[in-house]
Amino acid sequence: IQDGGGLRAVMAGLARRLLGRGLCVAAGPPSSRQLREAEEAAPVFQYAGKAAKRKDRVFVWGFSYSGALGIPSFVKPDAGWKKPRRIQPTPYRLETDEKISSAACGYGFTLLASNTRDITKVWGMGLNKDSQLGFQRSRRDQTKGYEYVLEPSPIPLPLEKPQQTRVLQVSCGRAHSLVLTDSEGVFTMGNNSYGQCGRKVVEDEIYSESHVIHQLKEFDSRVVQVVCGQDHSLFRTKKGTVYACGWGADGQTGLGHYNITSVPTKLHGDIAGVNIIQVSSYGDCCLAVSDEGDVFGWGNSEYLQLASVTETTQVNVPRHLPFKIGKVKEAACGGTGNVVLTEEGNVFVWGYGILGKGPNLIETAVPEMIPPSLFGWSDFSPDIRVAHVRCGLSQFAALTNRGELFVWGKNLRGCLGTGRMEDQYFPWRVTVPGEVVDVACGVDHMVSMVRSFT
Amino acid sequence: LNAAPGRAPRQRIRFLPTPAPGGGGAVELVAASVPVLADHPLVRGPRFKKLKIGAGHRLDVKASGVFVLGIGHGNKLLTDLYNCHLTKVYTVGGLFGKATDDFSDTGNLIEKTTFDHITREKLERILAVIQGTNQKALLMYSNIDMKTQEAYELAVKGLIRPMGKSPPLITAIRCLQFALPEFQLEIHCLHETQQYLRKMVHEIGLELKSSAVCTQVRRIRDGVFTVDDALPRTRWNLQSIQEAIQNCQLRVETELEKTLA
Repeated sequence: IQDGGGLRAVMAGLARRLLGRGLCVAAGPPSSRQLREAEEAAPVFQYAGKAAKRKDRVFVWGFSYSGALGIPSFVKPDAGWKKPRRIQPTPYRLETDEKISSAACGYGFTLLASNTRDITKVWGMGLNKDSQLGFQRSRRDQTKGYEYVLEPSPIPLPLEKPQQTRVLQVSCGRAHSLVLTDSEGVFTMGNNSYGQCGRKVVEDEIYSESHVIHQLKEFDSRVVQVVCGQDHSLFRTKKGTVYACGWGADGQTGLGHYNITSVPTKLHGDIAGVNIIQVSSYGDCCLAVSDEGDVFGWGNSEYLQLASVTETTQVNVPRHLPFKIGKVKEAACGGTGNVVLTEEGNVFVWGYGILGKGPNLIETAVPEMIPPSLFGWSDFSPDIRVAHVRCGLSQFAALTNRGELFVWGKNLRGCLGTGRMEDQYFPWRVTVPGEVVDVACGVDHMVSMVRSFT
Repeated sequence: LNAAPGRAPRQRIRFLPTPAPGGGGAVELVAASVPVLADHPLVRGPRFKKLKIGAGHRLDVKASGVFVLGIGHGNKLLTDLYNCHLTKVYTVGGLFGKATDDFSDTGNLIEKTTFDHITREKLERILAVIQGTNQKALLMYSNIDMKTQEAYELAVKGLIRPMGKSPPLITAIRCLQFALPEFQLEIHCLHETQQYLRKMVHEIGLELKSSAVCTQVRRIRDGVFTVDDALPRTRWNLQSIQEAIQNCQLRVETELEKTLA
């Protein structure tokens, strides 16, 4: 055996000979060249192709025991140890078969409509005690219908041409719903005790498990928007006229009297001859926006909604509201508060309740602007604008052009979707995993249509 | 520093014996102001043997940019600046197509993916969402009761930010450059670490259904100090340091007064 130095030289020579012959591989940390080669040889995975489309989704949140969220496992859990979920405080994805183009939230029920030519165009879930979701035949007893519908169930509409007609829009009130189609007029279903379905009031009619779906076609031109108030219905036609029917004790039908109307009748007053481009209502007050940017209101004014023109608490003829806030693009009515959006993208609120300007502003008769910095506008991002405003019974929602949803108002049973149960006194972002395209607000729940990011 | 002229030595009145003017060996005491021997440089030694230097917010080994240091009495200002919780601005460079274990381009490769489906619009959408969720977190961690009018007013002005401990928060993020596969972001953040920013780049890659690694993290602003105030390697000498300290003094004082008042 040679000394240490000699032994190392022999081993080195042996290693060099073996490496040279390719009989063994060098150990030790890989050199940068080896790393680069390993990297280039690694397989490339593709998760999304170049033509990957953005997906359309529906998110729901709020009170779930009525079934209005459309997720049965919240009400009847699928395993014995799971507890039912009374409130869904953050947006939860609702799986739908088709792309939903229009949604509406009523008082404890929801309607979803798709723009498809298939036979099933409208789905409903939630309370069905007045057949506001049509007749949902029970599977256990074929003669009876469901009182609560826990998942989105198709609503059979008596269409003449079911494979050609498209459903444009749906709207829900307290116990009735309206479906607007492109060529077959308006379909109404649900409670008709005040004539809100547009047909004659039948005394002692039983509305639950009823098959009656009424079709309304007699308007001066095609109906382009339907709106449900609490117990009345408004129809806006292409010519810019507004029709109304239903309960009128607060003057919300705007027909000049305080009686029930069971046939859609044209409104006059300050909107006679004016081209109305949008109507809105949810409680007992109604607002209409003309193409020139003027706002007209009628109905309940107990909460100072129309106090800028009159002291009376009920207005039964449409009155022009002379606000100096600029050209109005969109208006939305809630139970006690109203909100409008101007062409410049500013949001104005008035009425009573949590209006969105902190806890100190409880009521105002004159519109007050909500500062745009609360919607994300800043020097860093100066081109953020509010694109749409919506109203629930005591909450407000605003959508920006970047697809962010801001909510504020009373947080009744978690309907704001912020994850907290406290009321929100100024606009707060709702974290939705996608770009929010539209939102429908109800009394204690909300539904939003969202497009995924990529 | 030691070569610069120091303090003048202290003077002391001493009664020194001097020969009497009359002569003949008598000594009388005369008062004289003489420098104290203890202050003499040969007795005392060099004035500065070491300097206390404190570091401000941490900067990674792999990152570069503005790094704030405090010298001597300036270390007290460092703690005050930390308590101001001012935002820092970074430029972060990223590369699509790779995913590594430490989220930077020098790590071990985990996966390679395609990225030709990514457009600037998709990236900006993701950035808008990141900014939105972080805005929410800003309001939540700043410990203000949301139900008060004060909270509403602060939210309107945009002045709410957490003044205590909080997880890393991004106050603003935007895309500066986009040239597949590379992209560059400008991020304004609070309480962050550079590794968190690299992880953010990785997560942006995941959201876009691809993968991304971070190639560069550079801090361009730390509170009141920007890249223009920072001294490059070639100017690390006494003269430049003194000038830099003087330039920033006023700004630091005003900022401390404004925030901690």
